[in-house]
Amino acid sequence: MTIGALFYNPMTFSCNSLLWLMLPILISVTIIYKTLRTHNIRRLPLEILGLLVYVVAGVVVLGVGLWFVQAYCL
Amino acid sequence: MLSMVLGWIVPGMGHVVLGRPVRGLIIFLTIAATFWAGMAMGGVMTLDPVNEHWWFVADMITGVHGLAAWQFYQRTWNRLASDPSVRQRQTALAREPWQAAAVMDQKLQEEHLALTAPTDTIARAYSGIAGLLNLMCIFDAMILALMGIGGEPPPPQKSLVTAGGQQGGKPS
Repeated sequence: MTIGALFYNPMTFSCNSLLWLMLPILISVTIIYKTLRTHNIRRLPLEILGLLVYVVAGVVVLGVGLWFVQAYCL
Repeated sequence: MLSMVLGWIVPGMGHVVLGRPVRGLIIFLTIAATFWAGMAMGGVMTLDPVNEHWWFVADMITGVHGLAAWQFYQRTWNRLASDPSVRQRQTALAREPWQAAAVMDQKLQEEHLALTAPTDTIARAYSGIAGLLNLMCIFDAMILALMGIGGEPPPPQKSLVTAGGQQGGKPS
């Protein structure tokens, strides 16, 4: 089995797992953003963690708000 | 300009040439992990220059990663297109370009390579966002180079009150 075989066939996902797959993307965005913006590289892990909590909380609030709108207002 | 081009070819290299190797390494690893995670989810057909132009453009911003994936896609596509069964069906059925594309779509499904929802959305979002993140890094390296800033910035110093009552420390 070559390394190319890992990237050959698509995986299958259920719709229930979609939301969890947002988490790695949020982590990537947070890492890159903080890597570019931080002044002190030694504090980078702490700053990434702080921003990640902030972003995830924001996304959860946004998701709950949109769910509420589509469930009760539309 | 050099840092911009290097930052496109190898993500993070723009920061390395500006004297920020740790940041460059973090950028490279993060973008590589995000892009290849998308490729692992969607397979070789995640890159689709024919039907998904804008995602393809975003993928190409990842530099070597995008180019390697495109090469992989081209090899696979050419192998499938030169398959005798595909050629036979295209000769017999395809009178219009869309019919030829339909024959290829059928072949992709037979080979279990066709992307279906929601995998296509997830895979293209991962690989495309990796490209957009690298675009942000390229701009950052370009701005730093234009401003003539190299190396890590000095750690911020707390302002000290000296015995004479004057503010000490460098302004950040």
